Amino acid sequence: MKKMYFLLAIGFAGIVLLATTTRTKKPYGLTVGTPEIKSINALTFSPNGILFVGDAKSGSIFAIDTKDAEVTGQAAPVEIKNVDQKIAALLGTEVQNITIQDIAVNPVSKKTYIAVQHSDGTPVLLRVEGDKIMPVSTKNVEFSSLALNNLPSADAKDRRGESIRVSAISDMGFADGRVLVSGLSGQEFNSTFRSIPFPFTDKQDQASLEIYHAAHGKYETLSPIKTFTTAEIKGKKYLVASYTCTPLVLFPMDELKAGNHVKGRTVAEMGSGNSPLDIVTMKKGDDSFLVMANSSRPVFKVKYKNIEVYQGALTTPVEESFATAGVQFVSLPVTNVIQLDKLDDTRMVMLQRRSNGNLDLWTSSDRYL
Amino acid sequence: MQSLIFFVFAGFFACRQSTETTGVSIHWRDQRATGISIPQNRIASFSPDSISQLLTVRLAKTGAQPAILGEYQLADNAIIFEPLIPFTRGLRYEVWLRNQRLDGFEIPLADPKDAPELLAVYPSPDSLPDNLLKIYLRFSRPMREGQSQKYVALLKNRTDTVPGVFLDLQPELWNPDRTMLTLWLDPGRIKRDLQPNKRLGVPLQKSVHYQLVVSNSWPDQQGTKLTKAFTKSFVTIPRDSLSPDPSRWQITPPAADGNQPVDIAFGEPLDYSLLTETLHIIGEDGKSLPGEWRIGDEEKTAHFKPAQNWKPGRYTLRIEARLEDLAGNNLNRPFDRDLTQKTVPVTSASFFERSFRIDQPSRQ
Repeated sequence: MKKMYFLLAIGFAGIVLLATTTRTKKPYGLTVGTPEIKSINALTFSPNGILFVGDAKSGSIFAIDTKDAEVTGQAAPVEIKNVDQKIAALLGTEVQNITIQDIAVNPVSKKTYIAVQHSDGTPVLLRVEGDKIMPVSTKNVEFSSLALNNLPSADAKDRRGESIRVSAISDMGFADGRVLVSGLSGQEFNSTFRSIPFPFTDKQDQASLEIYHAAHGKYETLSPIKTFTTAEIKGKKYLVASYTCTPLVLFPMDELKAGNHVKGRTVAEMGSGNSPLDIVTMKKGDDSFLVMANSSRPVFKVKYKNIEVYQGALTTPVEESFATAGVQFVSLPVTNVIQLDKLDDTRMVMLQRRSNGNLDLWTSSDRYL
Repeated sequence: MQSLIFFVFAGFFACRQSTETTGVSIHWRDQRATGISIPQNRIASFSPDSISQLLTVRLAKTGAQPAILGEYQLADNAIIFEPLIPFTRGLRYEVWLRNQRLDGFEIPLADPKDAPELLAVYPSPDSLPDNLLKIYLRFSRPMREGQSQKYVALLKNRTDTVPGVFLDLQPELWNPDRTMLTLWLDPGRIKRDLQPNKRLGVPLQKSVHYQLVVSNSWPDQQGTKLTKAFTKSFVTIPRDSLSPDPSRWQITPPAADGNQPVDIAFGEPLDYSLLTETLHIIGEDGKSLPGEWRIGDEEKTAHFKPAQNWKPGRYTLRIEARLEDLAGNNLNRPFDRDLTQKTVPVTSASFFERSFRIDQPSRQ
């Protein structure tokens, strides 16, 4: 109870402080301050350039106005060779001490944002400006945050008094005014998926879903979602998710409501020993494509038209091609792509480990579609 | 306070030194070098505003090095520089003013006596089902992330390394302190009828001796390596496709004359990490009893000791349905369910309950 009073006191002090420092009301319910970001697992943007930071360590999502809002029509391609070494030097350390956690392109300014984590866990947010890498300050910015609910209370500790809860945010996206978050738990083997309205509200009306897939209609199973995108198929909106056991599964967006147990339709399997890393939806002419980066496979490309005509839902195994089944897809001549985001409809920014060992950030041309 | 004293002393000491290699003092927080102080007398002739443009801290390496990203502040006759991430142990740095090298400093390696240890591996039994899903590694200190594939291996019959047995998952699944890691055996191979399962079979074979080996080259967050390598041997037993069944658990309540633990025996090993969270004892008033849970040998038992003495009466053991066995079967549903077999029921309860009585001790 004491703690409660303490929190209330802090909250009140915060309100008083905010009341004195922020006179004008910011859009989206944002207020000026310094978000306490403890880790950056995932980045995504809203169509109007609000940056969302997924922080599994503090179990929160932060929405930040980066003020990087200069509209760029034709985006310049990003090209930084040995990007990990350049970042390591800028941070004053060696390349083995940093990990690039995610990249995301601001759809307004078309600038690429990079989330980096130091080996001691310190998160760093960077932005590519031309051929330079600049820090993005999160001090005194306009922001709001939302604690992910259903997280266990802080007293879920072991006998040594340490929290043993193991969790991560596996992917984050934005569609139709909602932040979509998929989570991984190191404990239960299931899938948590949240759909959170933005601007964040006081009441937690986020939908937390348990969604599972049926392989070949025979075995039904829960599994964690590793990465996802959203797409329109035959005029209906879908969540297209890839699981850690690598099936590609479709869920109608209108069924993703709190309390629903949603069963997805498996449309393809992506082979063994593989972990899907990133999915984006691209467009060229009248065709739209799903492009997916993988841990131990080349980049896959699937035409949404093929998914439309594919009615099988893997009820019977389809003819095997490279130990995969379902909708036909094309392997692009690009391997070891670790991160992927769309620069515009036809071009992608890729973080790729080249065959010579270099880690390069580069932009694909539309001939890949 | 200690660091402040050190800092003041360092500053004083620095002032008394007059030349080259003096001056820069390192700020430490939680054993991390989070910043440096550069005495202002070294850069006396510059205005405070221009300092951050003129002064740079760089890595001491051959070739042109960029200025390290960070913040400069002015404080008590010194300029404080805090990099975006702490300075790295074992590396040398330089302070430059325009194109002139002012000073150099080195961040010492961590004390070897602070080396991390692998405290435990769960599940702890030496017989494990061949559809084992998870392995937990428990360390004494926060470890470096994203590296488990390099340092953890599974040997078959003491000789062959089994390739691709663990799912290469990024980000890895660590607890907030980075002291406990979850490793998954490739779930696509464990799930029946998925292509990886049909082509390659389950990651572990039946009735085979395996050794889980954790290399001592694994560094912690400070760069210090594990004190020694770790090996856990186990043999595989047939697959477990059944949900744990709390109605078959044995509950042994103590007498109501103290706070002796109530013992619960599951009849099979269950998931260590979930056991620590999913069991609760509820009193007659519907409230959860404060107390301490201890997980017993081989995760086959759990023991609850109340903070206060038991009172005679009826109690409820509440078990959250998300509790799993070693093969990912939870209380509601098995890991994968054969839809053609209608005999396996699926429930959607959020918890299951068993009740037990605590009685007055019988008087002799």
